Amino acid sequence: MDLVRRTIERYVPLRTDEWERIAPRWAEHAFSKGAAVCAVGQVEERFYIVKSGVQRLSFPHDGQDVCVGFAYDGSWCGEYASFISRRPARFDVVALTDSVLVGIGHDDLQRLYAEVPVMERFGRLIMEELLLGRATREIEQMSLSAEERYDRLMARSPHLLQLVPQKDIASYLRMTPETFSRLRRRH
Amino acid sequence: MSRKGMDTARMIDELEATLRAQIARSKEIARLPSEQLLKRPEPNKWNALEVFEHMNLSSGIYTRGLRKAFERHAGAHPANPLFKPGRIGDFSTRAMLPRTDGQISWRMNTMRMFDPPKQQGASHESIARFIRLCEEFHALLEAARGTDLNRITVVSSLGPIIRFKAGDAFRFPIAHQTRHFLQIERLLRA
Repeated sequence: MDLVRRTIERYVPLRTDEWERIAPRWAEHAFSKGAAVCAVGQVEERFYIVKSGVQRLSFPHDGQDVCVGFAYDGSWCGEYASFISRRPARFDVVALTDSVLVGIGHDDLQRLYAEVPVMERFGRLIMEELLLGRATREIEQMSLSAEERYDRLMARSPHLLQLVPQKDIASYLRMTPETFSRLRRRH
Repeated sequence: MSRKGMDTARMIDELEATLRAQIARSKEIARLPSEQLLKRPEPNKWNALEVFEHMNLSSGIYTRGLRKAFERHAGAHPANPLFKPGRIGDFSTRAMLPRTDGQISWRMNTMRMFDPPKQQGASHESIARFIRLCEEFHALLEAARGTDLNRITVVSSLGPIIRFKAGDAFRFPIAHQTRHFLQIERLLRA
């Protein structure tokens, strides 16, 4: 639970009485390697903070999984669009390694937004962060060359190479595994 | 237990008691720290959650089969105080049960369709699903008190051509679960 408190306090300060209302709403969920955190067609029940492990966000397209993101220690995880809209997920979220996620259910989070004003601010700040991340990625995807996309990612998240299969990173960068390993050899 | 015939009511009582113990223990295990549930003795060996999911994948064949069989034949075969296990059903059940010293007698390879890492993985939800599965077995056993368990057969997990008598379709998967609880306790102690 320390993880949840530390994570929220990266965005907003918490008083003890506020934390006491927040803590019981969160619970740990263990996923073994290969398990679906959320699958296309299901409604995402929770919003997660990653305690340990690596997860992949992808969608099926033309018989392949197109990878759109990764989550790891301390980052957010889950199918946010489905979590917010309460509509069936369009993405699969899969545990690439054994993972422990700390999650909060949709109703519990809504209740916290109503009862603990500082949580609503937290909610706005993380949604802004997620939105900025999407916008950056969208521009990078459309305007940068494969080589530039590779360099940006290695500058931003060099540790990803140790955590995630190369084919998933290649898919995330919208390039073939062959292009990816050619760019990698160049360094 | 004898192939000659078992007292049906007593067999059902014993199976229900086993299920109640498994449900109670599963509820305790669900509250253990995630790290303990995910711990593997070796990198490619199952963790406790995967053992639960394995039981869901294999026992689910019997709950689905029994449910369908009872719906279809309800009332057609009234209760029989004696259950005579089938040859393969009885042999398989005995092979599953641990020896009296608690050791597992037969080691076997898992078929791909029952191997969680090669299917949809496992999570905390696997324990919750296992508890619901045991509750369903329990409810089906209650329904079984009014039915002749010799006369109804169910497809087995050994393959579509091997059918078990309904009585064995309870005995075998529940014995299989007992076996895997030994494994779970071993994993949790490690």
